[in-house]
Amino acid sequence: MKALIVDLAKCNGCRCCQLACKDEHCGNDWSPYALSQPMSGQFWCNVEERERGRVPVVRVAYTPVFCGHCDECPLEGAAPDCVRRSADGFVIIDPEAAHGRADLADLCPYGRVFHNVELDVPQKCTGCAHLLENGWSEPRCVDACATGALRFGDEADFAEEIARAQRGSAGFATDPGIGSHVYYLNAPKRWIAGTVADRTINEVIIGADVAIVDEAGNEVARVQTDWAGDFRYYECDQARYLVQIHARGYEPVELVADCTQADVVFDDVLVVRET
Amino acid sequence: MRLSDETAVHNLGLESFGGGANIVAVDALDGKVVRIRPVHFDRDYTPEELNYWRLTGRNGVEFEPGMKSYTPPFPLVYKCRTYSPNRIPYPLKRIDWDPQGERHPETRGTSKYVRISWDEATRIIADEIVRVQGEYGPHAILCQGDGHGESKAIHTPHGCMTRLLDLCGGYVMQARNPDSWEGWYWGAKHAWGMDPVGQNTHSTNTALDIANNCDAMLYWGCDLETNSWGWGGQQASRMAYWFDACGVQHIAVAPDCNYTAAVHADKWFPVLPNTDAALQLAIAYVWITEGTYDREYIETHSDGFDWFEYYVLGNEDGIPKTPEWAEPLCGIPAYRIKALARYWASHAVSIAHCNGGSYIRAAFSHEPARLEVYLLAMQGVGKPGRISIKFIEWILFGMSSCSPLPPSKVVPNTAACYNGPLIGEMESFVPKCLVHKALRGEQFSWYGRGTAANPRADQFEEFSFPAPGEPGIKMLWSDNPSFTTSLNGGNEFQDALRSENLEFYLVQAPWFEDDARFADIVLPICTKFEVSDFGTDNDAGQWSAVTYEKAVIDHVGEALSDWEAVQEIARALEKRGGAYENLWMRLTGGKTVEQQVEEGYAACGIPEEERDFDAFKRRGYQLIPTVEGWEGHPVGLSPFAEDPEANPLETPTGKVEFYSVPLATTWPDDDVRGPVAHWIEAGDGHDDRLSSERAKDYPFLIVSNHPRWRVHAEMDDVPWLREIPTCKVIGPDGYAYEPLWVNPLDAAKLGLADGDVAKVFNERGGVLGGVRVTERIRPGAVYMDHGANSDVIVPGLGGLDRGGAINHICPTAMSSRNANGEVTSGYLVGVEKVDVFELAARYPEQFARRGFYDSSYGADVRDHLVDAEG
Repeated sequence: MKALIVDLAKCNGCRCCQLACKDEHCGNDWSPYALSQPMSGQFWCNVEERERGRVPVVRVAYTPVFCGHCDECPLEGAAPDCVRRSADGFVIIDPEAAHGRADLADLCPYGRVFHNVELDVPQKCTGCAHLLENGWSEPRCVDACATGALRFGDEADFAEEIARAQRGSAGFATDPGIGSHVYYLNAPKRWIAGTVADRTINEVIIGADVAIVDEAGNEVARVQTDWAGDFRYYECDQARYLVQIHARGYEPVELVADCTQADVVFDDVLVVRET
Repeated sequence: MRLSDETAVHNLGLESFGGGANIVAVDALDGKVVRIRPVHFDRDYTPEELNYWRLTGRNGVEFEPGMKSYTPPFPLVYKCRTYSPNRIPYPLKRIDWDPQGERHPETRGTSKYVRISWDEATRIIADEIVRVQGEYGPHAILCQGDGHGESKAIHTPHGCMTRLLDLCGGYVMQARNPDSWEGWYWGAKHAWGMDPVGQNTHSTNTALDIANNCDAMLYWGCDLETNSWGWGGQQASRMAYWFDACGVQHIAVAPDCNYTAAVHADKWFPVLPNTDAALQLAIAYVWITEGTYDREYIETHSDGFDWFEYYVLGNEDGIPKTPEWAEPLCGIPAYRIKALARYWASHAVSIAHCNGGSYIRAAFSHEPARLEVYLLAMQGVGKPGRISIKFIEWILFGMSSCSPLPPSKVVPNTAACYNGPLIGEMESFVPKCLVHKALRGEQFSWYGRGTAANPRADQFEEFSFPAPGEPGIKMLWSDNPSFTTSLNGGNEFQDALRSENLEFYLVQAPWFEDDARFADIVLPICTKFEVSDFGTDNDAGQWSAVTYEKAVIDHVGEALSDWEAVQEIARALEKRGGAYENLWMRLTGGKTVEQQVEEGYAACGIPEEERDFDAFKRRGYQLIPTVEGWEGHPVGLSPFAEDPEANPLETPTGKVEFYSVPLATTWPDDDVRGPVAHWIEAGDGHDDRLSSERAKDYPFLIVSNHPRWRVHAEMDDVPWLREIPTCKVIGPDGYAYEPLWVNPLDAAKLGLADGDVAKVFNERGGVLGGVRVTERIRPGAVYMDHGANSDVIVPGLGGLDRGGAINHICPTAMSSRNANGEVTSGYLVGVEKVDVFELAARYPEQFARRGFYDSSYGADVRDHLVDAEG
């Protein structure tokens, strides 16, 4: 079986994977692998994006999402006559047999099957089987990736990556566990960020101790403010934390960081001298 | 299975000017483009043949050119441009423009068009050229034949008409302003030379230096994840990731969390738009008062520092430029400014740029550009890890010294088969930012040719237009009808296009966009893949390339290439005899395209022993190996740093000039671009600070960058881009609006939510945008990229645009009185929520005329044609 390795730390959000997929399939009929995709609205490959943080600590998390050609693809169970496996194990919807089967688009838990209203046929990623079976070594999405965020090949060749990967979905979605062959590396965790300064003298505080304490009262990390008075902790779970800031000569500060819904960026922490 | 039946290599860079970038393989099947993909060099070359390089930075992290082209998004979607529903299908004539009678200039932009034949079109055009030249002389025709566009040489999209008019007595050229480099061009050059555009041209081996010696890089208004896409590709992104991996701290300085900061930045300093000068001055203040700048370097490498010091400390105006002074101006807390200044003073810090954006295109942009050079000098620029580099234009104007990466042994060019004008060479011209005046028939003067290719001394030469006894402009011939969405003062330009003074406005273009809708005659032009050509790619950061760009499809509709269209006009003209006799042969020399490709290749710069035309034609491209001995090239400005007397800069003193004697002596009364860079509150037509009286009505500073999903005006009709969430916002009326970024704090004050439609406005008019409430823009600033395809509801000053072409309302006034650069960002605007249904009721005709409009691709040419069929 083939694997698609997605290194989220290398995804710059250019969407070349998504666009190359469209270039291959929109307006091009590759029967019997797939009919042409409409010019808009279907995303066999889609780069999801999510803004994180707030001014001045902001990042965008890009997550390219693909069909996993899952071991337990629900389409195979529900409509065995409409799908087949390609030589590389890709799940191929047969456009003729699946004609009129709009219902198939609802079966994929990852939402990667689309109904083509005009042609009345469910459609999805073919793994570019028409190319791979005719001399290509990788699908269009991987060929178009400039940064090395996407890699494709035999699953056996990626044992090391697969061992540390999240399977099928990235970020905070729950994986349905049906044997996806898309593997995500470096999925980001939640962060806590802030800046410590003394407004009375307009100086940042460098080297302040910042303890990150979980709800059970355990200190999970201790970081220090850097040259800009900034502290960052990138390894948070979706949980609540206490942040205890100790700057020498200043009153200690304790803040609540609620990472359950989003990353936390505090307003600048303006510490007060000890009296 | 048939995957393709023909493949060609084209460069899909969008710089035009005979240059090129972004080579790709184009597959066609049954006469249609089916696929556009990266070129795999390893199928044609071994690394040894290319003199492959490897750079090793800190942590042992390697960087290599790679063996395939690193294609950005735009080439991958290009067939949507080829087959766009907004292609001009056949020659058009404005229905109420009658060259024999009433010309109705006042209805330009609103009247519809009728189909005419190529014969009729070229006959009318020839009549008009003969009439205008006969009545007014050759300098009554203005050629708008510059700017970005498809990169073709023989069929160059810009300026073919100048070759024709050159043979008929002359013409007036619109002189392309240094639009990507305004501040550096008009400012930094006076501080450190660096002709022609004022950015560092001494960059050899600086990538390796940064990877090993630089502690932090200030990505100052630098969006390499956007601006490199049209003209270079994704090696820039790869290089940024490499620097990150080598431990170079990535510090973004910009009002917006741009697409580079969004994935790379370790820290973001969200400076208010066009207030960088305050931040820079405060940094200098900290260094001067704490004695943490490189005094010895300043003594030996610069001139006039004491003038700057005098100003910074407040001796000149009583205002010390402290961090506390800067904070309310630039929006960065004083404690963060001090921290940044101290870090910079104690570490090796470099600056990164990628052109464009608010930083370099706002009012008085020469000031932050000069101040940046001052700061670099104060920390010993040229010493290890201390330099300024670019992530774009690595071989700018053929100068391989601009590249921070190992360059190829030859920089190939297309000059021998290029049918456009050469930038910088003009007999008669009008600066682009002043074209409004010429169209209105005014008399005016200015300093400098200012084409981006001119040396510093050019800025001191005075010009005027029209020449004594000449009538000024009566005809405009444009192959780049995108001024209103890309340049300064768009609404004022629309008024100029409708001026009585302008008797004939001719446009030739592939797509019916923006200013084309104001033209009297419109000619349909073809795009890449429809014609064969010779091309280059010098900006990939891998190897320079030349391309044999074979046509793989037929001309779409009745389109001709620009070069072919001009030939048709030549044929119509030569029937008039006299001065026009034998014009076609004089224009073309009777050469075929194949001959021109062959001539272009023969003279491109590749030595004869390495040329093989047949192999080149068969393969479609040829790569040029890395130059031998690149490892021994000097590191950037290190020769200057080590011995400034032996390795002087191009300034009069050969040193970094904090005080410019030429500026002081030429314009002793210029208090906006004086001899020493200053903070300028207001002046020369600009009053755009949050502290200004105007800010009561227009309380936000706008950021207009190079668009993420367009190249200026290009690509706005691509459905695959328009469905990306950061590309368009679908309004409640189903229309795809240009995104307007608003910080949540400001959105709350304005009562705006995601997906609302808002009007961005000032005295010059308003444009509509689709609201995105986002932390990617700081409070006090709003963000809207330039270049959206306009959809004019009310034309001209005070007008309204639904398409979101923000440059309609940017200033017309220049960078400053003696610097004719554009000001297209960092100005004041108001923002208010609008009810689009109420607007539609108020302008029923304008809203209803978009019958063929489709939000998936936008404007449709059929909405402008009489009796268009569905």
